[in-house]
Amino acid sequence: MSEANTSETAAVSIRHLSKSFDDVEVLRDVELEVKTGEVVTIIGSSGSGKSTLLRCINWLEQPDRGSIHIAGQRIGVNDAGRPMPVRELAKVRAKTGMVFQGFNLWPHLNVLHNVTEAPIHVQGKSKREAEELATALLEKVGMAHKRDSYPNTLSGGQKQRVAIARALAMQPTVMLFDEPTSALDPELVGEVLAVIKDLSAEGYTMVMVTHEMAFARAVSDQVVFLEKGLIIERADPETFFTTPKTDRVRKFLENHDTPSPA
Amino acid sequence: MNASAWQMLLEGAWTTVWISAVSIAIGVVAGLVIALIRLARIPIIDQLLVLYISVARATPLVTLALFIFLSAPDLGLDLNRSVAGILALSLNTTAFNAEIWRSAFRNFSREQSEAAMATGMTPWITFRRIMLPQMVITSLPGLVNEMSFLIKGSPAIAVIGIVDLTRVTNRISAVTYEPLPPILVAGALYMAIIGCLVWLQRLAERRANRLAM
Repeated sequence: MSEANTSETAAVSIRHLSKSFDDVEVLRDVELEVKTGEVVTIIGSSGSGKSTLLRCINWLEQPDRGSIHIAGQRIGVNDAGRPMPVRELAKVRAKTGMVFQGFNLWPHLNVLHNVTEAPIHVQGKSKREAEELATALLEKVGMAHKRDSYPNTLSGGQKQRVAIARALAMQPTVMLFDEPTSALDPELVGEVLAVIKDLSAEGYTMVMVTHEMAFARAVSDQVVFLEKGLIIERADPETFFTTPKTDRVRKFLENHDTPSPA
Repeated sequence: MNASAWQMLLEGAWTTVWISAVSIAIGVVAGLVIALIRLARIPIIDQLLVLYISVARATPLVTLALFIFLSAPDLGLDLNRSVAGILALSLNTTAFNAEIWRSAFRNFSREQSEAAMATGMTPWITFRRIMLPQMVITSLPGLVNEMSFLIKGSPAIAVIGIVDLTRVTNRISAVTYEPLPPILVAGALYMAIIGCLVWLQRLAERRANRLAM
């Protein structure tokens, strides 16, 4: 794998990524390649570094060493090897869309404006153009009927679906999902997973941290298992869930009720 | 009270309103600017701002107004009374407003800013579009409180010869020997002015409900 080659063609290319919080190494020499159209799921017990890895991809966390390229462009560090100026960083960040565990909608804006805010004020789209796009995306996630509502009137599942539309509105190269259903009541998990599943069927490139094993098995092209900041196993979902190579993963799957094939 | 007394009262009320309004406008904006600068934690400058805030908060308005008005000639400044009065009120209210804005910054949800940055917003756009609109709503009760303190404290500027709504009642009763009527009218006018602010605050509270998620 020559560096120039892979970073140019991959949607996300992570090389030799390491990060510590104080004395704790949360990521150790992580290598990950996400091809365009691929769905990669990151699995691991809590504290294994999976959210940190995801948050490094759009530079919400800054790694200590290593590099990340989004569609061939390095994030966070410019050609001279210095930290990127904020405007440049924002531009690369816009190639990623992120969905958070806690939704993080902006409460002072209604549903429609949550989705149009970045296209208008970051990409400079006209209000009409942004609203057309937003309406289409809200229809896709089944939230068009709530376009004039404010976030505080929505259920968790509805909020998360709006948050997905908000991230899609920037037409990102890759969508990042940070435990998108962990904060939801069990009966609301399904509606969010259904939306994400639709996106994978449409060919969106996605990196997802999740505890939903059956879902991971159903939508992933690649499953990565993180343990103490180290990728200890990576495989296609069938292999990963049926014949894991390491004892650690076998034990983890036993504790998580290994799903039967969806 | 005769017609000229009424006219004097209204002129006094106008003086109070415009001097207070200008000072409030300066104080709200300058307070925000100071809070923004303090976020950057620039060495020396930060300490200077802290010193200013503690001095301004601890100094009585009368003292501040007198000091500014009397020291201006020594500094080679030719301040008229109104400017000196506005300066005193602004210096005082800015210090309080800076603290109100600063706590709004501190309490702002980190998650919301992250969501903004994640969509590609620069820190400036994030501040302008996501943080400030919410900070205005959450800070308004505190700011309006400070505004009404300023208006109620504004008679202090009479000490440098400004004829405001309170001072004018003295002038009227000096002629009519009836102090009660003008002071009652002045009281009613103060209540009307503060009433406008309270109405503004109620408007903000209705919007604030939306932010409680």
